[in-house]
Amino acid sequence: MAQDQTHEPIIKVRGLSKYFDSFEALRDVSLDINRSEVLCLIGPSGSGKSTLLRCLNFLEAYDGGEVRLEGDLIGWKSTTDNPRKPLKSEALRRQRQNIGMVFQQFNLWPHLTALENVAEALINVKRMSKADAQDKARVALAKVNLSDKERSHPANLSGGQQQRVAIARAIAMEPKVMLFDEPTSALDPELVGEVLGVMKEMASDGMTMVVVTHEMGFAAHVADRVAFLEKGRLVTCVPPQDIFSRTPDDPRVDAFLKTYRERNVV
Amino acid sequence: MELDLFIRYGPSLLSGFAVTILCWIVGSLGGLVLGFVLACLYRFGPAPLKWFIFGYVEVIRGTPFMIQLFILYYGGPSVGILLSPVQAGIISFIVYGSPYFAEIFRSGFNAIPEGQIEAARCVGLSETRIVTRIVLPQMLVPITAPLTNFFIILTKETAILSVVTVPELLYETQTMASETFTFVEPFLVLSIFYWLMVIGTSRLGAIVETRVTRHLRRT
Ligand SMILES: Nc1ncnc2c1ncn2[C@@H]1O[C@H](COP(=O)(O)OP(=O)(O)OP(=O)(O)O)[C@@H](O)[C@H]1O
Ligand SMILES: [Mg+2]
Repeated sequence: MAQDQTHEPIIKVRGLSKYFDSFEALRDVSLDINRSEVLCLIGPSGSGKSTLLRCLNFLEAYDGGEVRLEGDLIGWKSTTDNPRKPLKSEALRRQRQNIGMVFQQFNLWPHLTALENVAEALINVKRMSKADAQDKARVALAKVNLSDKERSHPANLSGGQQQRVAIARAIAMEPKVMLFDEPTSALDPELVGEVLGVMKEMASDGMTMVVVTHEMGFAAHVADRVAFLEKGRLVTCVPPQDIFSRTPDDPRVDAFLKTYRERNVV
Repeated sequence: MELDLFIRYGPSLLSGFAVTILCWIVGSLGGLVLGFVLACLYRFGPAPLKWFIFGYVEVIRGTPFMIQLFILYYGGPSVGILLSPVQAGIISFIVYGSPYFAEIFRSGFNAIPEGQIEAARCVGLSETRIVTRIVLPQMLVPITAPLTNFFIILTKETAILSVVTVPELLYETQTMASETFTFVEPFLVLSIFYWLMVIGTSRLGAIVETRVTRHLRRT
């Protein structure tokens, strides 16, 4: 079993559903994410991309189905209780340490410097000494090319720099999977490249990544597979060439990509 | 003005000032702490507790301080609560201030963007750490001014304690006025004392505000 594990998908999503009151935001989504894979989630606004991503680390408590990370059920004690009982916060926090997340709005803590943002959880979650945590945080900041900004507060960083600090904050925890929710959508166009560059580097280092994005260039060139969501349903999940370099089989995907083709982005 | 008046009444005025400061500091810091606890319970506690706190805030804010003080001091003995004037004054001061402090803290909690808290959860920070490390330090930015303001309001509310014979500043001033038939002098002194408290509080508030907003300044 143990040696088999590396061939097993690292995340298994089965029959996932999520309701906001009576609105069905996700319906019966099943998806495997393999180790070191880059999976891009695309789809129209409101199709449930963020919701799906947030179910993976239980920022949203999903209602039906399951999410497993290396076999470990995320968030719930079991799927058979009715109603389901959430894990103790201690256990959920342990799971979340394996799943890094990067948000569209960066969500840095503005009262802390770049270095402190990255070191915070190393000290208060991983229980490292302050000196060790800072060393490790410096390594993470170097990975995102921000060694010279460690003493800056977020207010004094550009959007692209803030997002790279946010990435460093996540990778310093050495997660097994990284989730990105439109990491470049809040950035000025000239800053998008520096963030995507860091993400490409992470991908080539073998990080498992799930990326919600409108950057079709990134999806086409970096993703191993692209999943298309519509109205809370997973329409297709295929290698990028199947939808970018020829006409997609599914008319819904074709219609969605047409809007990009018309603007010459793909 | 007769200067020997001040020499005669100086000690009692100063002692009144000391009692005022004592009631004000203990009462308002107590109210601050109680208010913070209420705000935390309101935010993180179970639903029935929320309703209780909501009711408490509405009732205390909806009644005059003097009535609360009367009920505690004159009504207390009938239910076995016997308090000295100073004790009753301080306790009712704590109770009176707490809902206002709770409201200030509640608005402070709301001022922190949810995304920052989600980011903290994602790296595995505990809810307690999220409050102490992420929420509280930033909350000081929007709440320092209203806190300072309310501390200033409370300096003058201490005067009400004189109605239950707490020997505070107003009480001593009135004693002096009625014994000497002077009015300008005692109330001038009274005003100066309150003014000292107010100016001290606002200076302190300004210093705190400069400190807690330092990170927001672009360099
Ligand atoms: N907390 C919430 N409460 C109620 N409805 C919600 C909530 N979060 C999301 N929704 C709804 O669920 C649907 C899916 O939302 P989601 O944010 O996942 O879409 P998305 O694909 O990420 O869209 P976008 O590209 O605009 O970010 C939307 O219709 C949205 O209005
Ligand atoms: Mg979204």
